[in-house]
Amino acid sequence: MMANQSDATRNNSVGPVLRSGEIADAVIQALEEDNPGKEFVIQDHLAYVRIETENECIVRRETLERALGRPFQMPELEVNLTSFSGRIETTDTTMRFYLEKRL
Amino acid sequence: MALLERSEWYDIARATNWSPRYVTEGDLFPGDLADPYHLPTTAWEAYDEPYKVSYREYVKVQREKDAGVYSVKAALHRSNYYNLAGPEWMGILKLHYGAIPLTEYAACQLQGQNTRFGRAGSMRNMATFGMLDEMRHSQLQLFFPHELLARDRQFDWAHEAHHTKNWLIIGGRHCFDDVMMTRDAVTNSIMTSFIFETGFTNLQMVGLAADAESVGDFTFANLITSVQSDEARHAQLGIPLIDMMVKHGKTAEVQYAVDVGFWRLWRVFAVLTGIPMDYYIPLDKRHMSFKEFMHEWVIRQFERQLKDLGLERPWYWDIFLNDIEVHHHIQQGGVWSYRPTMWWHPVAGVGPAEREWLDRKYPGWNASFGHYWDTIIDSLLAGREDLTQQKVFPPICNICQIPIANRPGPPWKARAFQLDFEGRRYHFCTPVCRWIFESDPERYKQHESLVDMLVFGRFDPPTPETVLRYMGIGVVSEGGRDSNNYEWIEAYRGKHGHAAKGQVSPLSDCSLGFKGGRKLFILSRFEGDGHVKTVEVDTDFTMDELARYCAQFSVGHHVPDQPGRVLRVRRTTSHDDAPVFARTMRFDDCQPRQMDSFDIFFADN
Repeated sequence: MMANQSDATRNNSVGPVLRSGEIADAVIQALEEDNPGKEFVIQDHLAYVRIETENECIVRRETLERALGRPFQMPELEVNLTSFSGRIETTDTTMRFYLEKRL
Repeated sequence: MALLERSEWYDIARATNWSPRYVTEGDLFPGDLADPYHLPTTAWEAYDEPYKVSYREYVKVQREKDAGVYSVKAALHRSNYYNLAGPEWMGILKLHYGAIPLTEYAACQLQGQNTRFGRAGSMRNMATFGMLDEMRHSQLQLFFPHELLARDRQFDWAHEAHHTKNWLIIGGRHCFDDVMMTRDAVTNSIMTSFIFETGFTNLQMVGLAADAESVGDFTFANLITSVQSDEARHAQLGIPLIDMMVKHGKTAEVQYAVDVGFWRLWRVFAVLTGIPMDYYIPLDKRHMSFKEFMHEWVIRQFERQLKDLGLERPWYWDIFLNDIEVHHHIQQGGVWSYRPTMWWHPVAGVGPAEREWLDRKYPGWNASFGHYWDTIIDSLLAGREDLTQQKVFPPICNICQIPIANRPGPPWKARAFQLDFEGRRYHFCTPVCRWIFESDPERYKQHESLVDMLVFGRFDPPTPETVLRYMGIGVVSEGGRDSNNYEWIEAYRGKHGHAAKGQVSPLSDCSLGFKGGRKLFILSRFEGDGHVKTVEVDTDFTMDELARYCAQFSVGHHVPDQPGRVLRVRRTTSHDDAPVFARTMRFDDCQPRQMDSFDIFFADN
């Protein structure tokens, strides 16, 4: 992995980095449901979980609420969202991670 | 009562620009505080923050975050964790708390500037939340170490460090003054919100959290990841600005801000984060190497985003990739060697198993940094702790304020990159720091590093004790010592190529006194030494005497002797090809000037 360090920027990975716990588990479940056909790579780093897929993914409030089994406001996601790869777009009901350019 | 969805009222709420009647637009938003790039008003009207939050949501979410952080702290308060945590982990906490909390206050002032001088209402809105975030970060990170103060006075540095002139703190402050405190609202958003908060803070606040969790400090892991969740939001302030700049033909200006900011932050963070990750975390708890964390967070994630914004990698990319292999390793040696200047007890972290790990993660470590530590081990085994405490200072880079050093030999890399400017000589760690200076000398030229102050005669008397006191050591708390009381060297006694009684060269002790010539500071670039050293010499010395005099500060400290060979002197040049001076030549006859650099190296005759 280290040998081609300078090529490592050539990736199209996007997605949230979450603090480990209930919310992270629910987000993983919701992402898989909201982005059919997409493969997610999930890396567990103890304190944080990195969730990545190619180019774009979206998480929806209603899917997240179903996964959690309780009402959920999108801004609450921030409590556990420590970082993310790619760009972000937030609305009342969605959070989207994306890149403009494909490498 | 039903609430409107945020999107139904948000655009109206954030539209807080108005047309000034009593002052001009330029008086309201002076260029040097707001926007020196003169982006058109229409561009500012289109500023759209990607990560939206209302004040009501902000308060609710922040309350929940704080409840989480404080409840974990309260729940673990009665645990015995900090009594059992080893000195290595306590060292990491002291380093973190000394460096970070008051930097957060500086970031709070930066957000304050943007709250007032952001040209878009939505940018000012984001910055207001950012300001409250940073206040939270400094208060949390002052409150947590306060509890530890009762057990260890060095935790007082959490509040005191930034009020001292400690060399490492000056390094941090010089960087943050540059990227946060003395720029306009656009540039500081690029340098701080974009580079710092989407790039480097992840290393210290999320990467280190993985290690914290691994060593069982859940309070700390929970604290710093909670802090970073604020950063992830307000860091987004920079993205629409970069988009705007690129769209309006200011790509070169953004690229310059990125190139300067990225290098400055890298140089500081490699010391702050790199040293603890690769040397302080107990080996069996180490999650990843610093290089691997850099790879994950900075190269894969952050640099990828640069490309998405239409920017390029910094021009010094190859120098940067090399620096990832070197910079924090040699600074780890420096921090340990100058341990009385630190506010924690530095960890050597170079037992046989650790070295095997380091060489695996950083191929070639043993063949260079390994020799450096072997010399220290030999001196310690011989009972010569004094040789492992430095008597002279390294030159300090006039941009990053970090000691000038490089990979120890062979091959032999350390050198100062110098520049004579308006009658003063400046010293730099790399061509990158020199480029930063030359691109904007007015900004940087007046600052004096600690070594400049020594050379310019600002310390009276000019002794290490005066300098230590100036740095706050002995005032705030005692300085550092080896965290492990040298127990780690026993693994080497009579093993791994070390004699049971160690080894000391006669070159380590020098009885040569000054002869009555001029006193002159020179840079001693001693063969194989990872650190360049600032040495005051006598111009009446012969070249042999000069070499002999300088040798005492390197041999047995950081390089071994080469018995049977002699020392020769030449001027430092970029290709190591200057003519070698005759051994009997009087030093003054080469017409040396203050802070000229000389190579002192071993030769057969």
